Amino acid sequence: MVTTNDLKEKIIAGLGLEDMEPDEIGDDMALFGDDGLGLDSVDAIEITLILEKEFGVKVTNMDENKNIFETPNTLVAYINEQKA
Amino acid sequence: MRIYDMDKKCYTEIQKHDNPLTKIEQLSDAMYCYKNSMFKMVYDATQPALVSYINSLDTNILDAEGMQWLYFTSGTTGVPTGVFKTKENSHKQAMALIKTFGDMKFNRVVTTVPFVHIYGIDIGGVVPMVLDIDVWTKENFLPEELVKEAEVEGTLVVTTPVFIKALNRMKNNAKFSKSLFLTSTAPVPIADGREFYENYDCSVLQLFASTETGLMGYKKNDESILKAYDGVKISQKDGMLRVSSPFVTQKIISDGRLKRVESSFQTEDIVEILSVNEFKLLGRSSKLVKIAGKRVSTVQVEDIIESIGGVDAVFIKIRKEERALKDEILDIYVEGSLTLEAKTVKECLKEALGSLHIPFKIYNHKKILRSSVGKKIGFK
Repeated sequence: MVTTNDLKEKIIAGLGLEDMEPDEIGDDMALFGDDGLGLDSVDAIEITLILEKEFGVKVTNMDENKNIFETPNTLVAYINEQKA
Repeated sequence: MRIYDMDKKCYTEIQKHDNPLTKIEQLSDAMYCYKNSMFKMVYDATQPALVSYINSLDTNILDAEGMQWLYFTSGTTGVPTGVFKTKENSHKQAMALIKTFGDMKFNRVVTTVPFVHIYGIDIGGVVPMVLDIDVWTKENFLPEELVKEAEVEGTLVVTTPVFIKALNRMKNNAKFSKSLFLTSTAPVPIADGREFYENYDCSVLQLFASTETGLMGYKKNDESILKAYDGVKISQKDGMLRVSSPFVTQKIISDGRLKRVESSFQTEDIVEILSVNEFKLLGRSSKLVKIAGKRVSTVQVEDIIESIGGVDAVFIKIRKEERALKDEILDIYVEGSLTLEAKTVKECLKEALGSLHIPFKIYNHKKILRSSVGKKIGFK
């Protein structure tokens, strides 16, 4: 079972957020947009590569999976659902 | 030419949009203007500094007579420049690019790039219009989605180096032997170009271009030498590329004023000229970094951070991280009493540059070294 902490560690390493600690990213913090972590579209692509490499999970269709990128919680739920 | 909205899974009309927000609306509006020879200003409305600069311009200088486009650079270098182009400029440029495709034939263009700058509109929009083939696009692409589209025979993919790197890292078994990838906005490292060709049996044609000059040169896959496009004259001054191009006018807006510039434009690209139409890109002026296709001036970032209380001086070095999608990272060396936190830097950059996530690392309490004329030269 992947935890939000596992995911945050991989995101911090993968996106080069070298000055951040996992506990600075809330489980329900928006990953994109002005009010959250402030990631952008290139970071979204990097996250899909992280999911594939680190957790063996592919995201193949943006239309069907728009909501999974919202927060660490939604991403982890998707990872665990795919791995189940 | 028709526009296919991949999100809505239907064709959409080419029509006027007064406030185009989505990629589809931006493309539809731009192509309507092009088709009907209506002047259009093109800029990235998500850049606050740029928007406020454009709003501050005297409307009298936005003289559109005989012009098709007024493209603005992103403003992330601190000095937005407006470049006027005629319809003929764009058409000539499209023809010069199409000539480099050789025998390859395409039945559609799939584009991942937005339509708020020269690459999106002139290449992602005008080229398919000249070829009279459909453009397929959607708001956000995932690498897996692009793989599916590129597998379709006769697809011309207009994209960026980010996707080339992402597809290389995926190591998918797909082959795109009947398609062609175009990239621009930043160079594709030679190893990445070769890896892409070997993995996918598909060429990447790298377009070397800027808003101020239009298309300048091109190279394929792992080639290191750029060839100038037909009609583009290249030279160098102080080791930096100068370009005289038939793809732009000499009419620009700079520092809030309308100017006529020399036909030869001085770039910030360090080059070696090999022949009348061949050159090698050796690097860029070290003061510019490219993040997600946008040129960002490290001098401007230094100025922004130095405006924070408790920060006396800032020196920025650019670090390369080849495998990362954002492959240029800012190492920020800070002199001053304040222990500067990443959160503070992010807030300041967001205010000045908009929602652009720039990878950086802060080194606090350093001593910034200066030359005898006060220029920052290093740290200790």
